[in-house]
Amino acid sequence: MIEPLLEIKNLSVSLKKRDNISVAVDDLSLNLYPGEILGLVGESGAGKSMTGSAILGLIESPLYISAGTISLQGRSIIEAPENIRGSQISMIFQDPLVSLNPLKTIGEQLIKTIKTHFNISKAEALDRSKKLLSDVGIDPERIEAYPHTFSGGMRQRVVIALALAPEPSVIIADEPTTALDVSVQAQILNLLKQLCTERGTSIILITHDMGVISETTDRVAVLYSGRLVEIGKTSDVLQRPQHPYTAGLVASTPNIDPSSFDKKLFQIPGAMPDIDDVPDGCAFHPRCEHARDKCQKHRPPLFDARVSCWLSEKPGGTL
Amino acid sequence: MSFVTVNQLTRLFDLSEPWIVRTITGQKKRILTAVDCVNFQIEKGETYALVGESGSGKSTIAKMVAGLLMPTSGSVIIDNKNFNDANLEKASMNALRRKTQMVFQSPYASLNPRWKIGNIINEPIKAFGLIKDENDQHKRVIELLEQVGLSERDIKKYPHEFSGGQRQRISIARALASEPEIIICDEPTSALDVSVQAQVLNLLKDLQKNFSLTYLFISHDLAVISTMANNIGVLKEGVLVEQATPNDLFHKPQHDYTKMLLAAAPTLQNN
Repeated sequence: MIEPLLEIKNLSVSLKKRDNISVAVDDLSLNLYPGEILGLVGESGAGKSMTGSAILGLIESPLYISAGTISLQGRSIIEAPENIRGSQISMIFQDPLVSLNPLKTIGEQLIKTIKTHFNISKAEALDRSKKLLSDVGIDPERIEAYPHTFSGGMRQRVVIALALAPEPSVIIADEPTTALDVSVQAQILNLLKQLCTERGTSIILITHDMGVISETTDRVAVLYSGRLVEIGKTSDVLQRPQHPYTAGLVASTPNIDPSSFDKKLFQIPGAMPDIDDVPDGCAFHPRCEHARDKCQKHRPPLFDARVSCWLSEKPGGTL
Repeated sequence: MSFVTVNQLTRLFDLSEPWIVRTITGQKKRILTAVDCVNFQIEKGETYALVGESGSGKSTIAKMVAGLLMPTSGSVIIDNKNFNDANLEKASMNALRRKTQMVFQSPYASLNPRWKIGNIINEPIKAFGLIKDENDQHKRVIELLEQVGLSERDIKKYPHEFSGGQRQRISIARALASEPEIIICDEPTSALDVSVQAQVLNLLKDLQKNFSLTYLFISHDLAVISTMANNIGVLKEGVLVEQATPNDLFHKPQHDYTKMLLAAAPTLQNN
């Protein structure tokens, strides 16, 4: 059994509003193994980005981590995130337009990041910056250029170079391609995959795009209303979804298929509940066509380390 | 003649520095051709989709078809009328505007945050003077809300009380308010989650059937387009590089750019 690189156990992130406490991430357990790409997928408000922020120690009041542990290589990082964040875990944000400083050249930004994490001379940092730029497919000659002179895809490459600068073991990519065109998206996803194999970096890829999940990730975790509803190998989860929510997400994703013109897309009725109004039992039961009494009263545990749904309680009781 | 005919449509944008700067520094004029001699037709009750990457001119065409932007040359003829015809009388111009409505990409930016939903949807009715009596206007607004899957209760709410998908339904209700014949949908679902996207796309299809609407549908997502369009035009840098039915486009793409787009689109099937 391989030791997990990053271990999240029973993590809860809560929000305190006067006397009300609502839960944004609810009892979430996840493992990230070395060199893998793990996808986090779900609708907006499912807690994907919140989980990413919690790993980086970026949760700020009025939100707080109310329970659980996050450990990297066996060491808890909830208490001491400052030492870990940045040097061990990097983040790539959605919008490359706003995640670079417009007043500084990309060289200055890279050198500063490298010098923050390593005690080396400026000349060495410059060499490393050029190496990083060529690794992500940017001509090192452009090191003195400002961010606005780059296109969206090129900027996202610079952001990836910045994320790689501290030589992290985990990269959290939060919707890294949502702001990009499909052709550029394909390039960036290939770059991430390639970095993952070459450097052995693990990646947590947060996205709402099932197509991106299908083509990029090794394993996928489906979140609903802050809870883990299904996790497993990407091909298993997408081809044989066991949770009705996963099945709904897969079915409502349009495919490139001219024959689909006459058909209606599958739609999941209703919408995800607000975090201060999560129903009892399984959070998905009001939208679920298979819901039974039990689903309304009791919250299902994760069966077979795969799916959190009462339908899967007994073997063979799948959809 | 087709319901909508777009003929040699061209739009240039002048990106040059001011005249005085050009004179001093000796720069030339810089002209961007955003849309270059685009031709297509849309039959009544059908959907024509434009696909392309950012900067390909999709939205510029949408604005010109909606009459929100003047073409540099060429014309858009909707039901035998042209927005840019100087001889068009005011009444026919108003009628043309009533027939042409638009649904914008971001449901967060396209609704006035200080207006109640009832007023937002009632505005086109008032602006075009379609219904004079206030009680009848109220009834019509409720009818429109119900057509897009919302209810009478929502009439007094403000846009911030709704989710993205519901807001897009409100935009659609507003577009329907003037009883249009063509709706221009500029990336109507790209700000939405997949499950909500499915709801909005199904709603658009139902409305098309019920009111025999014509759509100009703009998207960068080939999968969305394949479920919506009767005909597809592929735009690259302002030029329509390929035009075909979904069947032909997806099975026998001719242009290299179309092939590249198809290869790059992430799908569930490849797994």
